[in-house]
Amino acid sequence: MSESTNVPVAVDMQGVGKRFKRNVDRRNSIKERIVRGRSRKPEDFWAVRGVSLQIPKGSVYGLIGHNGSGKSTLLKMIGGIYRPTEGSITSQGRVASLIELGAGFHPDMTGRENISLNGSILGMPKKEIQAVTDEIIDFSGLGDFINDPVKHYSSGMYVRLGFSVAVHMKPDVLLIDEVLAVGDEEFQRKCFDHLYALRRSGRTIIVVSHGLGQLEGLCDEIAWLEHGEMQEFGAPTTTIASYLRKVNSQEAARYPEVTAVRAEGEDARPGDQTLRVRTAAIVDVDGNPMNHAETGSTFQFRIGFTTSEPVLGPNVRIALQHESGPLVTMIGNHRLGFDLGTVSGDNVFDVALVDNPLLPGRYRVHIDVFDYTGSRLLDSWNDAVEFAVRSQSGEIGQGFVQLPAQFRLS
Amino acid sequence: MLTDLYRQRALIGAFANRDFATRYRSSILGWAWSLIQPLAILVVFAAVFSLVFRIKAPDLGNGEGASYAAFLFTGLVTWNLFSGLLNLSMTQLKSNGELLKKVQFPAWAPILGASIVQLIQVLLELTVLVLMFLWLRNVGWTWIIAIPILIGTALFAQGIGLVLSIINARFGDVMYIVAVVLSALYFLTPVLYPISMVDGQNELLSLVVKLNPMSWYVQSMHDVMYSLIAPSAAVVVALLVGGFLTFWAGLAIFSRWSEDIGELL
Repeated sequence: MSESTNVPVAVDMQGVGKRFKRNVDRRNSIKERIVRGRSRKPEDFWAVRGVSLQIPKGSVYGLIGHNGSGKSTLLKMIGGIYRPTEGSITSQGRVASLIELGAGFHPDMTGRENISLNGSILGMPKKEIQAVTDEIIDFSGLGDFINDPVKHYSSGMYVRLGFSVAVHMKPDVLLIDEVLAVGDEEFQRKCFDHLYALRRSGRTIIVVSHGLGQLEGLCDEIAWLEHGEMQEFGAPTTTIASYLRKVNSQEAARYPEVTAVRAEGEDARPGDQTLRVRTAAIVDVDGNPMNHAETGSTFQFRIGFTTSEPVLGPNVRIALQHESGPLVTMIGNHRLGFDLGTVSGDNVFDVALVDNPLLPGRYRVHIDVFDYTGSRLLDSWNDAVEFAVRSQSGEIGQGFVQLPAQFRLS
Repeated sequence: MLTDLYRQRALIGAFANRDFATRYRSSILGWAWSLIQPLAILVVFAAVFSLVFRIKAPDLGNGEGASYAAFLFTGLVTWNLFSGLLNLSMTQLKSNGELLKKVQFPAWAPILGASIVQLIQVLLELTVLVLMFLWLRNVGWTWIIAIPILIGTALFAQGIGLVLSIINARFGDVMYIVAVVLSALYFLTPVLYPISMVDGQNELLSLVVKLNPMSWYVQSMHDVMYSLIAPSAAVVVALLVGGFLTFWAGLAIFSRWSEDIGELL
């Protein structure tokens, strides 16, 4: 964002950096201070460095990145819990952090007493607290339990009350760290409705989460941090896509031997074994091994086999089973009208899954081979290979597949 | 800085409320414990020190003999005010650590809130002390002077307590050192004995007792409550101003050192 834009800025960060001293060398006791003196070479590390970002007023801003990428540290600096080592942060209005729900609850006090205590700690004047107490109780859905000590609450009730207090204090900037997965489905919807209402009323929300699908729907803009440095920021879809590309390529680099390949042992399997499947792997369109597929991009199953005698027009069926159990689909060359001809000796064939319609998840592959009549089983290999499908966009989707549908007004 | 205290009075009050409501919530006798404890100590100490060690208290202000128990309790109340605030303050940052790591608010607020509740306990003890003197018919106008003396004591203790709390957050050893120093200081303060007993004793010991600021606070309380003598105005002003300056300095040091409290804990 250049400074020429006219949107008012809620939080302005200029070259923000935070340096921590490593815990390993902290001289925590006086004895250590005396015996070993002051730490001569403190091992510092920068949790956040050189972050400049203007967060527009009234927007929902997401922060994504790996664990330890500095996004929570940045959030704590915006919230005033940490002071930046360098650079500056200026925020407009009251900043409230919803960093840990119910952090200020006292177990021996009732829900109602805790509302008042928590509100004061979050900086709300007493009158305002009294004005919204009923609203908070109503929103939390706790009913009569509000007059019980919170130590008797279930964990769900606890966070529901914490969330209710935090969102009702009407901050100008609300900071949320990984607390969106609160309560049951119904309460979650209520939370999101409330967050949208806050945004409509011109309040700014900054949210840290690993729930990329959730963020994509909620945020106006997303910034991606890596090792404390800003990688990219902008529209949610593009930022999430770049982040996932990085994650996917890192995962591939971390497991150089491709995991989604399997060579069979000499175990006995059903079928007369005149054709025996030897290897199964997933490969990209150029035949390079992959360790996971991506929704929407074409990939292939590469199946290697040997025959003990020439086999006429084998019927190969590939069954895909989702990790949760259901059979997703069965792909067969006969049904799809592909004739493999007569095969003999060592051979490999590829089955391309065009524009992979499988949604993210893990899938198991079972391979059955029949003769051309479809009545004689040649080989049956259960769990030949297992592979993962990842998303490029962060969209998780519902169900197992995304069918190539088209919408049109008629 | 002091105006900050006023602006955050609601927050301090909220912490005081919390500590007040939860202090004795899980016990049956509740607040009665805040009196049972010091009174039990009083009975034991009065028995041991007047019967075994044969310490003689000075005469009461009304000229009707002496009461070691009343003398001792006057000192104990003053000492408890000091040590109670000190000990309580020191642990507050750690016990509110989870909160301080997550929400931004002035770190002295929970400390001062806890101290307010401690002061309520002191008021209860004071009531018993007053009842005791009424029963002994040892009453005088000098009692009024106890108010500035006690305020001075509380401010003095709170100032030291604030500094110790922030040091204790960084170095956990401080708590133990303070425990040792406090118990030594207890015997170097004329609580169990009248200050006249150290006169003509070991010179160094006598000097230490007389230089110990707590001796001044306790001795002045003995004067105004027990002996019904008014100390000179200079002494009273010194005790009050000294307490106020200690508090102000403690708060200044605390504010400065607690800027990074979120990562210190």
